Parts: sequence; structure tokens; C-alpha cells
Amino acid sequence: MADREDDDGLTDERIEAALRQTPKGAFALAGLTVGLLMLAWAAMYVLVFLPRGSVG
Amino acid sequence: MSPSAEHAIVRSELRWTVVVIAAVSLIMLAVIFAAVAMHINPPSNVERIDPQTLHLSAEFTESDLGTRVEANGQVTARIVATQFAFVPRCIVLPANRPVTLRFATPDVIHGILVTGTNVNTMVVPGYVSQVHTVFRTTGDLLMPCHEYCGLGHSEMMATVRVVPREAFRPGPDGRVSCADK
Repeated sequence: MADREDDDGLTDERIEAALRQTPKGAFALAGLTVGLLMLAWAAMYVLVFLPRGSVG
Repeated sequence: MSPSAEHAIVRSELRWTVVVIAAVSLIMLAVIFAAVAMHINPPSNVERIDPQTLHLSAEFTESDLGTRVEANGQVTARIVATQFAFVPRCIVLPANRPVTLRFATPDVIHGILVTGTNVNTMVVPGYVSQVHTVFRTTGDLLMPCHEYCGLGHSEMMATVRVVPREAFRPGPDGRVSCADK
């Protein structure tokens, strides 16, 4: 199985290696974007929303 | 896919789930903190009024609109939002003192916000919208309609004149208007 090649020249080993690497990149990208989003939300919340005072 | 690769992906997804739960929990805690510690809540008044007889009602007749200091000292401003103006166009309110804003409309859905503050509510026919707040800064604050209400929507705005507490002096009838300030 491991040395079998398909039409693209990919071996099962290379596919397995790619599948192991992919989550790290996805984590980095998702972590960065969600982190920036949370920072922007927190900045608006602390610097704009809370100082504007009570309402209800 | 081998079992080990599949296991690694499931583990990654579980880790990410923890991150998302943490982010949502953080936001929820911040919202609860604002509500409990700082009294910042969405206005949630449910009070019905007949829009067809608004101008004949006890509260929203023309002579009762504007700012009034009630017998118990509560400062209340009553405003009618109508296509395409607020009545009155200018209201006076004191800074650093609890005030109540009450809105009603005889025609379509409007919305108001007071710039630079957290005052923001919809004004729906058939209901009285009520907002409690304390203004911290003085000056003329713009209060535009923020819900599209027709062709003149962009011209529909009013002024909230926030004056220092000591400069807020109601007349004998408890009324204060922009003409006095």
C-alpha cells in the first residue's frame, strides 16, 4: 500500500504526511484570524462600549 | 487515511473546539459583567399604546412632549418619532443624573440612537420605547433615526442637549426646553 502511486504520483505516505501537517497550518491561520477578531472586539468593548456608561 | 492520522485530526478539532468555547465564554462573561456591575442592558420595556390615538393619549399629547421633572425628581423626556421628524426636535437633559427617555410613534417603525452614548432603541408603532441612562458628557448630541422609515428618513434627526447638572433648572411646571438653554 505504502509504495503505491496514483495518477498524480502521490504515494499514501505523502498523503499521510500532508494530512498530519495540514492541521498545524489551519490552526495557525484560524488562531491568527480569531485572535485578531477577539482583540478587535475586546478593544471596542473596553475602549468604546463600557466608557459610554449605563443604559437599560 | 490511517487510524493515527485520523486520530490526530480529531484531536486537533477537539482542541479548536476548546478555543471556540473559551472565546464565547469570555464574551458571555463580559456581557454579564456589563449587565450586573455596570447596569448596561438592552432596553426591554414592554408597554402598549394605541398609535391611532397617540396625540390624544394622556402622555404623548403635544403639550406633554419634551423634558419634564416629575414630582419624585425623576427626569423624563417624551418624544414622538414621526415621518420625518422628532417632536420636539431638541430636548434638554442634565448630565450625571439618571434620566428616562420615552418614545412613541403614530406611523411606522423608527429607531433612535444618541451619538457617543449607548442609548439605542427601536420605536415601534403600538409600543412605548423606554431607555434609562446617565449622560456623562455635556454638549449637543445628535439623535438620528436609524431605521429606514421612508423617503425623508435621512432628514429625520433631533438634538439632545446635555447641560451641566447645576444649569438644568426646570420652570415652575417642571418643564425644560431648548429655548430656555
